Amino acid sequence: MAMVFGWPMLRYSWLSMHASSVLTGLEPVSNQGANWIRLLEDARFWQDAVQTSRFAALSVGLEIVLALAMALLLDQRWRGRGVVRALSLLPWALPTTMMALGWRWIFNTPYGPLEQMAQSAGLSPLNLLSNPDWTWLATVMADVWKTTPFITLLLLAGLQTIPDDLYSAFRLEGGKTRQALTAITLPLLTPYILIGILFRTAQAAGVFDLIQVLTGGGPAGSTESIAQYAYLNAMRFLDFGYSATVMLAGFVLLSLVIFTVAVLLQISGLLRPLKS
Amino acid sequence: MLKLHTLGKRYGSRWILRDLNLEVLTGECVALLGPSGCGKSTALRLIAGLEHPDEGGIELDGRSLDGIPAERRRIGMVFQSYALFPHLSVRDNLDLGLKIRGMAPAKRREQIDAVLSTVQLVNEADRRPEQLSGGQRQRVALGRALLRNPSVYLLDEPMSNLDAQLRDELRPQLRRLILQGPQPVLYVTHDQQEAMALADRIAVLRNGRIEQIGTPQELYLKPATRFVAGFIGRPQINWLKKTNGACIGIRPEHLRPDENGDRCRLIGREWLGANQLLLLEGAAGQLQMLCSADLQPGENLGVSWSPQDEHHFDPISEKRLSRS
Repeated sequence: MAMVFGWPMLRYSWLSMHASSVLTGLEPVSNQGANWIRLLEDARFWQDAVQTSRFAALSVGLEIVLALAMALLLDQRWRGRGVVRALSLLPWALPTTMMALGWRWIFNTPYGPLEQMAQSAGLSPLNLLSNPDWTWLATVMADVWKTTPFITLLLLAGLQTIPDDLYSAFRLEGGKTRQALTAITLPLLTPYILIGILFRTAQAAGVFDLIQVLTGGGPAGSTESIAQYAYLNAMRFLDFGYSATVMLAGFVLLSLVIFTVAVLLQISGLLRPLKS
Repeated sequence: MLKLHTLGKRYGSRWILRDLNLEVLTGECVALLGPSGCGKSTALRLIAGLEHPDEGGIELDGRSLDGIPAERRRIGMVFQSYALFPHLSVRDNLDLGLKIRGMAPAKRREQIDAVLSTVQLVNEADRRPEQLSGGQRQRVALGRALLRNPSVYLLDEPMSNLDAQLRDELRPQLRRLILQGPQPVLYVTHDQQEAMALADRIAVLRNGRIEQIGTPQELYLKPATRFVAGFIGRPQINWLKKTNGACIGIRPEHLRPDENGDRCRLIGREWLGANQLLLLEGAAGQLQMLCSADLQPGENLGVSWSPQDEHHFDPISEKRLSRS
C-alpha cells in the first residue's frame, strides 16, 4: 500500500505544487499553486468531471437493476442453471481492452452488426461512436455488459445468506411470493446492494481503459473521463505538474463522495447484514 | 385431530418419506423422532402445505387439506432457525401476519400486547431479533404461532439451536403455552431425551418410515426394532457379543456388579455425579454399566443382569422377538 498508493500520492501532491513540463525542461519548479488555480478555471476538466459522473451514475444504476434481476433468476432452481451461471460470468472475466474492441466493432458505422440491423430495418445510420450527444451511452452500454456479472455475483452471494425458512414463514403468514421480494428479499439484500454501488462507483469513476479503446475520449471529447485527461496531460502534453493536479483533484472529489456516503451508511447500520 | 394416512414424498426417484400413518389427537403431543435425514422435517412441511405429498393425504379435524394453500391451513409453525424477520422489531414480526390478513390496527395492537405478555417479552417489543437471546427469539416465534390461533401446532426442532440451560428454561414455557392447550401438537426432534420429556407419544422414523409409535415407556421398555432400542435410552444400549449370531441388547442401567457374574475388566469410566458410567471389557464384548460404586480403571469385577431385562431381536429382520 505504501509503495503503490502512499508514495505516489505524496509524490502527486508535491508535483501538483510544481510546474514540470516541456517549458521547464521537465524539471519541477515550484509555482505556488498555479496548477490548482488553472484547474478551477479549466472548463475541460469540469466537463470531464460531469461526463465521468454521469457515466458512473448511469452505469452503476443500470448494473444494479440488471444484476438484481439476474441474481434473482440465478437463485431459482431450474435446469441448466449451472451453465448459465458460468456463462454469465464471462464478460467480467474478459480483459477490458479486448471486450472494448469487440464493442467498437459492434458499434462500427457502417459495418458493425448493430448498424447493419438498423439499416435492414430501414433506419438512418445510428453513428453511435460519432455522435457527441449519444456516444457516452454506448460507453455505458459496454460497461454495463462487462460489469453486471460482478454485481450479480455479489448479490447472488447476498441472496444465499437469506434463510429459506424466512420465505416459508412468510408464506404461512399469508404473504404472496411477489410480496416477499419487497418484504424480505430487498431489505435483507440492502447491505449487498449498497456495497455493490460503492464498489462500482469508485471503479467507474476511475474509468480509463474501456473509453480509451472504445472512443479514445471522442467524439469532440464528449466521452473523456478525468483519468483520461490526466493521462493526456502527462503523456501527450508532457505537463506532469498539471497531470498530477488533475489526477489528485479527481481522486479527492471521488473520495469525498465515497467517504461521506460510506460513513453515513456505516453510522446508519445499513451496511451490516442482519442475522435472523 | 390431525390424521396422516399413507403420506409419502419423493425427490426424483428417491422416497424420503413413505407410508406415514399417524394420528395426533386433540390435546396430544406426538414427537417425530429420528436421526437427521430421516424425513421428519419433510413431514412437517407437507402438513404445513409448504410442499406437496406424492402419496397419501392429510386430514385436520375431519377435513382433507388437499388443495388448501399453506396460509389457509390454520397452522402454527415454529422453526429451528426461529425464522424471525431480522429487519423487523419483535412487535413488527408479530404484526406482519395480522396485517397481511387484514386485521384492524386497534385489534392487532391489542392481540400483540396480549401475546407479548404471555411470552414475557413486553420490554423487548421494540428490539430486533439479533438483540435478543436465543431463548427470547424462540419465544417470539412461539408468540407468532400463538397469534395464528391455529388448529394444530407444528414444532420443527424448536430447541435444537439452544444450549442446555436455555432448553431447560424454555421447556416449561413450551408446556404452558402450547402443549397444555387443546390443539394437537406434532413435535419434530432428533433428541430422544427431549421427545421423552415432552411428548405423550413418540413416532420413531428411520429412512422415511416409521419404526415404532408408542408412549415413551413403551419405546423404552419394549422397543419394536433393534434401531429403536439403540435410539431410545441414554447411555446407549449394550449389544452382547454372541457366538450364535443372536442379537441381544441390555441397557447400561440394568447391569449390576456381582461376584458370581461374568468377569470383566474396567477400561474406562465417566463420572456423572450421581453415578458413574463404567466401560467394561469382558466375554460379551464391551459393555457400558451405570453404577454407584467407586472403582478404579484396571480393576476386575463380575457383572450380571436379569434375563428379563434383555431385549432380543431377529438378526435379519431386526424386529423384536417376543419371549414368554
